[in-house]
Amino acid sequence: MNSTVMKKSLYLFAVPALIFYIVLWIFPILRLFQYSITDYNGYLQNFNYIGLDNYASLFQGELLGVALKNTLIYTIVSVGLSILLGLGLAMLLNLKIKGKGVYRSLAYIPTLFSAIVVGFLWSYVYMPDYGLIATFLDKIGINADLNFLGSYSSALYAIIFVEIWKNVGTTMIIFLAALQTVPNDLLEAGKIDGCGPWRLFVKIKLPLLATAMTINVTLSIINGLKAFDYPFIMTNGGPGTATNTLIYAIYKMAFTEQLFGKASALGVISFGVIIIITAICVTLMNKREVSA
Amino acid sequence: MKMNLWQKFLTQLAVAAVILINLIPLIIALSTSLRDPKNNSNPLNLFQDISFASYEAAFTRMHFLDALWNSIVLTGISVVFVVLFAAMASYPMARLKTKFSKFLYLFFLSGLVIPAQMVLIPIVQMINSLGIPVTHYTPILMFITCSLPFSTFLYTGFIKSGIPEEVEEAAHIDGAPVFKRFWLVVFPLLAPVTVSVVITQGVWIWNDYFFNMIFISQAAHSPLPLAMLGFLGDQQNPTQWNVLFAACFLCAMPLLVAFSFLQKYFVGGMTVGAVKG
Repeated sequence: MNSTVMKKSLYLFAVPALIFYIVLWIFPILRLFQYSITDYNGYLQNFNYIGLDNYASLFQGELLGVALKNTLIYTIVSVGLSILLGLGLAMLLNLKIKGKGVYRSLAYIPTLFSAIVVGFLWSYVYMPDYGLIATFLDKIGINADLNFLGSYSSALYAIIFVEIWKNVGTTMIIFLAALQTVPNDLLEAGKIDGCGPWRLFVKIKLPLLATAMTINVTLSIINGLKAFDYPFIMTNGGPGTATNTLIYAIYKMAFTEQLFGKASALGVISFGVIIIITAICVTLMNKREVSA
Repeated sequence: MKMNLWQKFLTQLAVAAVILINLIPLIIALSTSLRDPKNNSNPLNLFQDISFASYEAAFTRMHFLDALWNSIVLTGISVVFVVLFAAMASYPMARLKTKFSKFLYLFFLSGLVIPAQMVLIPIVQMINSLGIPVTHYTPILMFITCSLPFSTFLYTGFIKSGIPEEVEEAAHIDGAPVFKRFWLVVFPLLAPVTVSVVITQGVWIWNDYFFNMIFISQAAHSPLPLAMLGFLGDQQNPTQWNVLFAACFLCAMPLLVAFSFLQKYFVGGMTVGAVKG
């Protein structure tokens, strides 16, 4: 189309959004870099520049390593399982069965609940002695002394499971929509060529799901790296530091301990981690998508 | 693939079982919420009592009607602005094929990876230094801002792949200025993706407790998820569960009702960007 129709003045349309975005999002992010080299406490404006002390103390302390490890476990497990379960659920609900519309809706329902409600419900599920799992095991005669949220080894996995439970509906819906775009004649052709169900899945469906896969993986990675809700609502990062994720650690440092300078330094480090991991994944996925 | 009757039956059974297991926490909570607040028997005895006394208690304690109204106001205003700003901003990003437009697209999209908890203090400072009063409407500013990355992503993808430039040519030849052309020709054609933006962003804004928790201090101004925060701690106390679960369902009710009427749009809305984009 000729350039008189699409003029540079179109950029004016972006101005309102840009004002909000730059003033309330980008500029505050840049301020983090400034605060990360100060001893600012978040309230009093007479802070001092202290060079890289915050970074040094983070790299010497244990917190950074623990929070980083927890965040990576959170991300890897939640991405892997939600893709697996979401795809499985989508395949199941793509079968020709009675009432699949109802099943799809039911499977989607957990995504509608606020994280705070989900956190409450699952705190009850996990509660020792009186909780759902404990009473169920008791009823079928198993007397196990389980404390999912209270034990150092299981707490992180317990809250990751909650994250997956809440988000798997979204993953499923996106896969389901993509599955419905798989052309039937392609599947028929595969069957005539003698492909079994497994080969049909691997050779035809999976490559055609590439876009949906990229979206789902990217969204879950970002979600995992930003993990905050369930450590905040269900465990307070505990027991000890078992569920202390990067973002929860930042929040706690800034608001409870009032070490905003140090929290900013941790923010800058997290920022780097998030950007690098997301960039690597997006690049890898895009390559794969093209070759498929 | 032809399935015989048995296979069909087993598949059906398997699907039903999977969905049921997935929903067990919700079913138990629903059954418990329908008990009298004083009934502390085993929650696994499903639906042994049908009483709305716990709902009444939760209703008063969370100031349900106020909270519902606050949620509607906060979400409604935010979503309108998100749609307007994001649709407008996406128009040049989709239409102009310059390096700057590509940069702008990535610039907006990259905001998606930043968690709000990280930048909260500089945001609050910015709001203070601009002289914007902190009221119960302040979260709207953040809801709009945080919705821009995903919404512009959806709109830009849709305009690029779904709205051919030719549709604008007629309006251009008729001499319509670009502003008119956008609102009268392009924007109405964006309806499918606007639905998607309204639903994806509306759901997260409706459910968000974080920005509300930061900016809203009075109970009378709390939207639903923030009113839920008042129950924090009750989940450790079995004697409070009936009321707590009733509150949980009251909090989720509006979206569940909306979902049951608008299912098609919810499901379509979630996927419009994902499959095409």
